[in-house]
Amino acid sequence: MDAAVTSHAELAETLRRRVLDGPGETPAALRQMAAKAATGGAADGPAGTLARQIGQASYAVSDAEVAAVRTQTGSERAAFEIVAAAAMGAGLLRWQQGLAAIEEAGDAAP
Amino acid sequence: MRLPEIDRGDSLGNRLLIGFISRVSGMRLPDAARVAFYHKAFFSAPMGAWTQRTMRGDSEWSVGERELMAALVAKWNSCPFCVGAHGAIAARILPRATVDAALADFEAADLSQKLKATLIFLEKLTLRPDQVTAADARVVYGSGVSRAALTDGVAVASVFAIITRYANALDFAMPTPAEFDKAGAMLLKRGYA
Repeated sequence: MDAAVTSHAELAETLRRRVLDGPGETPAALRQMAAKAATGGAADGPAGTLARQIGQASYAVSDAEVAAVRTQTGSERAAFEIVAAAAMGAGLLRWQQGLAAIEEAGDAAP
Repeated sequence: MRLPEIDRGDSLGNRLLIGFISRVSGMRLPDAARVAFYHKAFFSAPMGAWTQRTMRGDSEWSVGERELMAALVAKWNSCPFCVGAHGAIAARILPRATVDAALADFEAADLSQKLKATLIFLEKLTLRPDQVTAADARVVYGSGVSRAALTDGVAVASVFAIITRYANALDFAMPTPAEFDKAGAMLLKRGYA
């Protein structure tokens, strides 16, 4: 793996581990569900509904969807964790898909 | 801003800092910066580190080219805040007319063939990530783009897949064009971390 990939991959993995496995106001399992729901996985409850919307069409997120997650999770800080986990899930999917295409193309680069 | 605590700041120190920066700069501190201060150890610190590496680290792409990529990812994700913010930064480096033309139709704009080929790849990655293949990467390589440069472009699209989504979900307030320009100057000077 070349240096550019290594540095991006390490920083992406640090972000993933912190958001999905690290300590937070919300259970890690809820954040993991949100990250998966943002990329087509099962969407449970208000957090899953919001995460799916963030993944598919974030511009269409409503006040009510965010308020419902605030109520479900008990604080704004916790609701932020769900927003961050969902957005990150969608972003890391693109990182992995882009990198896979580059790896598969092998040594075709100039 | 749909979570008022981010607007206010989540500690006395952050509230004082937000107020101080707003007074010194003569404008309301944009919501993107308020998120950067919020719940920092959980998200903003690791996110800022990857964003800083992607947008300001070593790359064959100039800072202006990377900011233009970010503005286009924002357009594809329908995030007006990020189009305004990163279009303004790109336009402090590239001609404003070039940035505006690229935002309207990048394939017709006065950009290098390398950048256009990379943007075609990034548009597909942004909108249809499950359809991106090695053949798409080989087309980009055919324009002379290196593997490292394409990797750096993929990082820009990935980082802004995240940023545009939380900007939209949290409903960032829209600054004026003059405020975007002023904030862009600060981001060029200070970076993202």
